[in-house]
Amino acid sequence: MKKIQTFLTAFLFISVLTLQAQTADEVLVNYFENTGGLEKWNALEGLKMSGVANAQGMEIPLEIIQLKNGSQAVIINFQGQTITQFAFDGEHMWSTNFMTMQPEKSDSEATANMKKAAKDFPSPFLNYKDKGYSVEFLGKETKEGTETFKIKLTQDPVLVNGIEEPNVSFHYFDSENFALIVSETQIKEGPAQGQTMTSTMSGYQEVDGLFFPFDMSMFGQGISIKTIELNPKVENSIFAFPGE
Amino acid sequence: MKNNLLIGLALLLSLPSSFSQEIPIKGKELFGNLKARHIGPAVMSGRISDIEMHPTNANIVYAGAAGGGVWKSIDGGTFFTPVFDEHAQSIGSIAIDPADPDNTVWVGTGETWVRNSVSIGDGIYKTTDGGTNWKKMGLEKSERISGIKINPNNNKEVFVGVMGALWGSSKDRGVYKTLDGGETWENILYINETTGVADLAMDPTDPNILYASLWQFRRSPWSFSSGGENSGLYKTIDGGKTWNKIHNGFPTGKLGRIGLAIAPSQPQTVYIVLETEDSKSNGLYRSDDGGNSWNHLNSNFELVVRPFYFSRITIDPKNPDILVKGGLNGAISRDGGKTFKPLGTMHPDIHDIAFHIQNSDIMFVGTDGGVYRSWNGGVTLEIVENIPVSQYYHVSVDNAEPYNVYGGLQDNGSWYGPSSAPGGVKAKHWNSVGFGDGFRVLKHPTKNIIYSEMQGAANVWRYDVDRIQTKTIQPMAEKGDPKLRFNWNTPMALSKFYPDRFYIGSQFLHKSNDMGDTWVKISPDLTTNDSKKQDQSQSGGLSVDNSGAETHTTIFTIAESPLDENIIWVGTDDGNVQVTKDAGKTWTNTIANIPNLPKNTWCYKIYASNFNKGAAYAVFEGHASGNMTPYAYKTTDFGKTWKSIISEDVIGFARSIHEDYKNENLLFLGTEFGLFITVDGGLNWSRFTNNMPAVAVMYIALQEKTNDLVLATHGRGIIIIDDISPLREVTPEIMDKEVHFFSSKPIVMPEEGGFSEFFGTETQFVGQNPSANARIVYYLNKRHTFGKMEMEVQDVEGNSIASLNPGKSKGLNIVDWSFTSRAPKIAEAKTISFGGFVAPRVPAGKYKVVMTKGKNTFTHEIELIYDTNSLVTSESRELRMNMVKILFDMNEELAYTVYKMNTTIKKAEDLILEDTNAKKVAQTVINDLNTLLKTMVVTTGDNYVASAEPELREKLADLYSSVTNNFDRPTGAHVANFEAIKERYDDAMASYEAIHKKQVARLEDYLKKKDKFPIEFKSFDEFLK
Repeated sequence: MKKIQTFLTAFLFISVLTLQAQTADEVLVNYFENTGGLEKWNALEGLKMSGVANAQGMEIPLEIIQLKNGSQAVIINFQGQTITQFAFDGEHMWSTNFMTMQPEKSDSEATANMKKAAKDFPSPFLNYKDKGYSVEFLGKETKEGTETFKIKLTQDPVLVNGIEEPNVSFHYFDSENFALIVSETQIKEGPAQGQTMTSTMSGYQEVDGLFFPFDMSMFGQGISIKTIELNPKVENSIFAFPGE
Repeated sequence: MKNNLLIGLALLLSLPSSFSQEIPIKGKELFGNLKARHIGPAVMSGRISDIEMHPTNANIVYAGAAGGGVWKSIDGGTFFTPVFDEHAQSIGSIAIDPADPDNTVWVGTGETWVRNSVSIGDGIYKTTDGGTNWKKMGLEKSERISGIKINPNNNKEVFVGVMGALWGSSKDRGVYKTLDGGETWENILYINETTGVADLAMDPTDPNILYASLWQFRRSPWSFSSGGENSGLYKTIDGGKTWNKIHNGFPTGKLGRIGLAIAPSQPQTVYIVLETEDSKSNGLYRSDDGGNSWNHLNSNFELVVRPFYFSRITIDPKNPDILVKGGLNGAISRDGGKTFKPLGTMHPDIHDIAFHIQNSDIMFVGTDGGVYRSWNGGVTLEIVENIPVSQYYHVSVDNAEPYNVYGGLQDNGSWYGPSSAPGGVKAKHWNSVGFGDGFRVLKHPTKNIIYSEMQGAANVWRYDVDRIQTKTIQPMAEKGDPKLRFNWNTPMALSKFYPDRFYIGSQFLHKSNDMGDTWVKISPDLTTNDSKKQDQSQSGGLSVDNSGAETHTTIFTIAESPLDENIIWVGTDDGNVQVTKDAGKTWTNTIANIPNLPKNTWCYKIYASNFNKGAAYAVFEGHASGNMTPYAYKTTDFGKTWKSIISEDVIGFARSIHEDYKNENLLFLGTEFGLFITVDGGLNWSRFTNNMPAVAVMYIALQEKTNDLVLATHGRGIIIIDDISPLREVTPEIMDKEVHFFSSKPIVMPEEGGFSEFFGTETQFVGQNPSANARIVYYLNKRHTFGKMEMEVQDVEGNSIASLNPGKSKGLNIVDWSFTSRAPKIAEAKTISFGGFVAPRVPAGKYKVVMTKGKNTFTHEIELIYDTNSLVTSESRELRMNMVKILFDMNEELAYTVYKMNTTIKKAEDLILEDTNAKKVAQTVINDLNTLLKTMVVTTGDNYVASAEPELREKLADLYSSVTNNFDRPTGAHVANFEAIKERYDDAMASYEAIHKKQVARLEDYLKKKDKFPIEFKSFDEFLK
């Protein structure tokens, strides 16, 4: 009896300890475990997400394609036209000018920053040490009315108007199930510079053993994902700059 | 893994109900995404206490506000953004770590320019990510921090000057040092409980050499004292182990506040400004031997004026003979302090100056009116227009639509402005209605007349807005009266019962029934009339400072019962709570009935209840006597008994309270550190933090029609929380439900459209407008993280009208709907038709909001109504909606037809490729359809100036959007244009039908004959999906 009690006490003590002394790594291990397991995440080669961006009164169909090598594209469908809103093929980042409907290369600084982020697929947290990133557990915080673990992520510094700036973002994982529900980044330039951009994630659903948020919101604009295809077959040409 | 999640989910679902009894009604989730908005203004900014420049990147500037937190610019001072909202907003000192200036910044809270209205700090903070996150590093009881110096060779070693408590004795004063980056602190220079550090400087070439000025000082509610035998100037050359007084060259006698600065380019040169017993020896001293000896140089006004408020010296980083001294106007010397000339015109009261790191002609100046920039060495100055740190004392609102907000500011006059305006509330929308320090500003209930006042009722103005006529109407002493004692912040009140009635409090309550033309006293002296607290002529200590700000034993708050004009409550600054039930014939002092309240605690606010004649709330605060405890009480029996309604949730001493108009358990409390809300009559309080900084809330108004809570903050201007009515319904029962929709009044659909300038105000602060959309408000007992949750609006028959993005937060969620259904599907073409972006507005009526959450569906009905103030008639709306419907359908029919044409062309083209015999029949189809298509949609050009001539699609979409974007009936031009387009549309459709029946039919026959797949179209409904 006494042994059991001791065991129980020890067990309780340990679980209390783990609850209190969360580390960033524990949060991330749980996050990946609960969303499909590290093995599956590491095996993922690419994603094709189809959904709609919802702006008051208008639903704009869009496709987001991301590959492990960093290639990515956001393609919208608008009044019957298929427009590559943004794409990156590992070398060039480009977008479609809405005035001329012609492709235009992004500036070299934005492209350089994108190259640094090419290794982020499918999540900057996956093998973050190998990527040269660092994480820090900053404690608990209430977000979306819910207790979360706050993790600070430091990625490779980015260039902002010629000046190298730290690339720091904050991520909030629901303390009950370790799902990522809120991310915050600081806007580095433009009229909103210095302000925090908050994205929220919800509607997690399973796709072939991995869990993804199907609903995302940024600045009150929602993106609702309808389907996610894992390891899609896509032509590399969709990422390449078509102007050359 | 999947099982884990499932079990987790099951647990999540089962938990809330089993613990439901224990849910206290408080917490962040109570407010969900109910957010405050800031309307500034920044037309007059507010007091800036400290400015710091990044040592190597001239684009980065930090400004600390007296009550408005820390602001950071990353563009050389053009724009500033607040980076310290979650913490005490009163800033004493900012220091940028010279070893890690991009990331590590220290902020010492608690302003050190210690005027009567100064706020308090709660310790020292550090960021290691450039201001995104801050961590408190101790010194919690420091109250005010005057200097932070970081060893550039070892940034774990930091010295902090603590000025300490202003209104009481404290051991937490002197110079503190950490060797571990702030984890632990050692007090390395301490004089006594009344003497703190006024200034601290470190030799830039030797971090072991520091200078510290010690200041003996004290405020009480009725006096101020600067100076004493314990003030002095100290120096250490061994990193703080030993300190020596360096007074060689000082006059004898008591000293007051000492400001000091080391010349960065020549550290043996040190300047100080000294407050002494003899006005001739006051002013600027210079040492060129590291403080061993001092020469008195100058006693000019700017160098000696109000040392407690101005004692900052800043020296040009490159030239030891150029220095600037803060003061009433500030002054600059270019000859080593021998002579000074004033700085250029700007808001007076200069507290800090910072030189640009590369170009000393560029400087930033912190004043009572915000941050100024100079490009020419302080000759001319321009204000930074985007730092809304105004310090309101009061706020009131009127009943206009949109309602106006009225209030007075520390040293920035009195103002009123709209709660919303086209394009946002901008500087140009604010109107000045008083000078000096402004306090209450009240709108006459029925006439376009505004009352305002300046310090101590020196003037009370009655301002006729239409005629631009002003009259001063303050009560004055009559024969037999003692001197009237008006508080610096004199109470004025209107009557609910007689629009022309007006109250003002001195030690007496004065009443006027003719808008201040004549006054009667309706009370005896209601204060303690303690003569010991009434001699301000000697206030100030070494430098007499009898501004009127310390006038004491005065009435401070007046509350006429909204239920009975004969019931009036009065609270005094010396701790009386008096009530009359017979319009002033007799008064009862109820203060003795208030439990656990120290004697003579300042009664800051009395609020007469909206629900019961005998009920009132009284808020007390004793901070000016060193007591920082919050006190709020409620009586229901005219003050015979009082009950405390403060819980341990409340942080900071309290100054203001407001009761809801509908739910007497819903109360709003303003404290030194923010806004607190209770929904259970004060058993539990929750801090409101959604876009609400931890700023002092001095006064609260609740607009009766909109239910907007309007806050006068002392440091962040006016902050509004739109429509707090959902909080009226929050009970433990609804917090336990999976989903609870809050009831909503019929929602008015505004029919407004205005203009706002686009350019010329880029660098101005713009106050946020409220949402003009329908608000759908619900409470979730759990955040929705797993599985689908969707929301759509349906008409009463269940037809889908619009899909919305539902909030998923635990707690209160607010979803906006812009009253529009979906935009039409537009025909495919070479370019984008911008008319297709427009979604039509739905008609007034009842709608269902349907939320699907997992397997469950929740429905809530809302009602939309038209704006009765609108010029648009029902008939006009109907005419418009009819035409919108027709045009909407025509757009989609056209889109469908174009789709069928393109599909047919594609089929024909493919056929030719595989079957050359088909060319004859197929090419005709291609040619005929393409010819027609060119008249229906644009097939060339771009979306900007290289656009093609519009075709049918573009004309149709443009007319559709033009009619839709109006609220009124279509114009004659719309109708005529419609006729023309309709004819062309009908022709095009007929042509298509003709081609379809003839050429396309032949193609279909051919396909059939050859056993090939027919041309297949999606159905119209399929196509629209």
